[in-house]
Amino acid sequence: MSTHRADLFTGCAVAVIGAVYYIATFSIQETANIVTPRTFPAIVGIALIVLGLFLAGQAIFRHRKNTLAEVGAGSSGSAEVRGDVQRSAASVRESSDSDDADGGVGGVVLEAPPEAPARKIVFQFVLFFIYLAILIPVGFLLSTAAFLMGLTSIYAPDKWIRNLIFSVAFAVVIYVAFVYGLAVYLPVGILG
Amino acid sequence: MNTLIDLGGGFASALEPVSLAFALLGVLLGTVVGVLPGIGPISAIAILIPVSFGMEPVHGLILLCGIYYGSMYGGSITATLIKTPGEVASAVTAIEGYEMARQGRGKAALATAAIGSFLAGTLAIIGLTFLSPVLVQLASVFGATEYFLLMATALLLASTMSAGSRTKALISIFIGLAVGLVGLDFQTGLPRQTFGIDLLSDGIDFTIFAMALFAIPEAIRNLALGRGAKETIQSFGEDKWMTKQDWQRSAGPWARGSVLGFIIGVLPGVGPSLASFMSYIMEKRVSKRKDEFGHGAIEGVAGPEAANNAGVGGAMIPLFSLGIPGSATTALLLFVFTMYGLQPGPLIFREETGLIWTIIASMYIGNVALIILNLPLVGVFVKLLKMPKEILFSAILVLVVIGAYAIEFSLFGLMMLGIFGVIGYLMEKGGIPLAPAILALVLVPLLEDNFRRMLQISGGSFAPLVTRPVSLSIIILMVLGIVGPVVFRWWVSRRKLLADVTVS
Repeated sequence: MSTHRADLFTGCAVAVIGAVYYIATFSIQETANIVTPRTFPAIVGIALIVLGLFLAGQAIFRHRKNTLAEVGAGSSGSAEVRGDVQRSAASVRESSDSDDADGGVGGVVLEAPPEAPARKIVFQFVLFFIYLAILIPVGFLLSTAAFLMGLTSIYAPDKWIRNLIFSVAFAVVIYVAFVYGLAVYLPVGILG
Repeated sequence: MNTLIDLGGGFASALEPVSLAFALLGVLLGTVVGVLPGIGPISAIAILIPVSFGMEPVHGLILLCGIYYGSMYGGSITATLIKTPGEVASAVTAIEGYEMARQGRGKAALATAAIGSFLAGTLAIIGLTFLSPVLVQLASVFGATEYFLLMATALLLASTMSAGSRTKALISIFIGLAVGLVGLDFQTGLPRQTFGIDLLSDGIDFTIFAMALFAIPEAIRNLALGRGAKETIQSFGEDKWMTKQDWQRSAGPWARGSVLGFIIGVLPGVGPSLASFMSYIMEKRVSKRKDEFGHGAIEGVAGPEAANNAGVGGAMIPLFSLGIPGSATTALLLFVFTMYGLQPGPLIFREETGLIWTIIASMYIGNVALIILNLPLVGVFVKLLKMPKEILFSAILVLVVIGAYAIEFSLFGLMMLGIFGVIGYLMEKGGIPLAPAILALVLVPLLEDNFRRMLQISGGSFAPLVTRPVSLSIIILMVLGIVGPVVFRWWVSRRKLLADVTVS
């Protein structure tokens, strides 16, 4: 997704969240105070709507500006290629001198972390939620060992012996440390 | 004079074996989290909060403060040897430090970072020692108006002086405020923004929010990335330590970095990361060897590393003396103080003199320990970088889950952790910085409380904002905080200082 598209999407999402948040303030009981319990949440809701729309508007404005620049430059047959160059040049410029982009005060533009495939991210989150859901009913030891084994095996299936030793040992050591060392009682689940 | 007596008392108890052990453990853990990319001081402190419940307040605080300033040292090791900053404040070190390491001057880079960190860190703690009592005196005339303004300034500066988009930083702040307002209103006891879910009336736990935002997205992203290419760790075994010329070239940047970092650290809402970025730009500006920048200029390591450590000491000043955190990490520390039933600010210096000075004394000790531990043990810390990613990040996920469980002891708490983990991931994906949200979440109750008190005292009038001399000065500072960065950005872009700093 291009920066413009991403910002447009983010801005709209923030505005929607702001709207939901603002609507929720209507169910707060009114009081006679100067600053009622509703005041702050309402300000926050409105601010989110305004900021979200501003971000989205900014993205549209920038996109237009860049498209116009492309049209101006690319009237010959190689328009498409040139357009691409323009686009990447524009994005570079944007991050170095626009006052609201990644240039920032520090101005030192750093390497962006590599993107992970969305499918895998969703999968990791699903595994994580399964772990959260089974932790209490199944118990810490079993669920943790299974979760760790699952994660490490996806990553390095060839090293399954190491994964197994790590998963079991880590779960046991942490359990002992927390329960006996720190008196934080972790769920025992079906083993209890 | 009193300050020295208090500090002496602090040293006496900080040098007790148990306190000493916690200080050492803190800086060691700090260095480790600083070294490991993907886990920074915020995640580490948040994960340890549930563990520190059971500790003596002074020990818990010594440990967690040690993690904060210790992490600044560790970050430079990773930045220099694999070009990946261990934590944000070392990001610029990755530019020059890594180049130096490639040219076989890795040891000199690590040494100038460590020595600069030590000098700047110690200077900043001296500043903390002598400036805090002065601020405490000043704070005695502060009323609700001033506190409200200070907190608003902190939030505003956190957005205007952030390294990326200001709109997005502001969005992050308002997300933090939105989350912080969920639960019972402390003044009237009425439920707010609970969406009909009773369990939300206790509010959203700060530690869960911090862990979810900082540890989960990073861990999940790294796990999803798969094994990828192995990072090459620059070797540094045969290199020379700093030469005479290196010392000469480092002295200036250390001094400038310390002063700059300290001042930036003291400002509410601005943390040490910005200090190191600005120091880098400044060194490049004043250097006679501009062409060396980007190719392993030692000044580009010495200055920023001094600045980020001075920034940590500076950031402790508003936290200790006013109870106002300047960054996400100090916001976490403020939370730890309140968890122990302590309220940083003028009162703590009067009522808990022993405790606060013990913590300050432990920071002097911790800094000495860091320089002693750091250089000889670099080899050991580097081994940590060889730890398989899947082991590191899956272990972090488990620790975060235990942390959340130890706070709420419920499925609801665990689900909150997961949901905010997803939210944190989406925020990162949308380019919204996470740290301002944490700061806002901690500040919102204080902000709202002081705002209400201000208006109650004035009978609904906003006049006190400009009629009280102190509040008027804060407003002027606030305006400077907004205008200053704009002018600075303009100045930087006009001089085209950044044209060749960009790392693709």
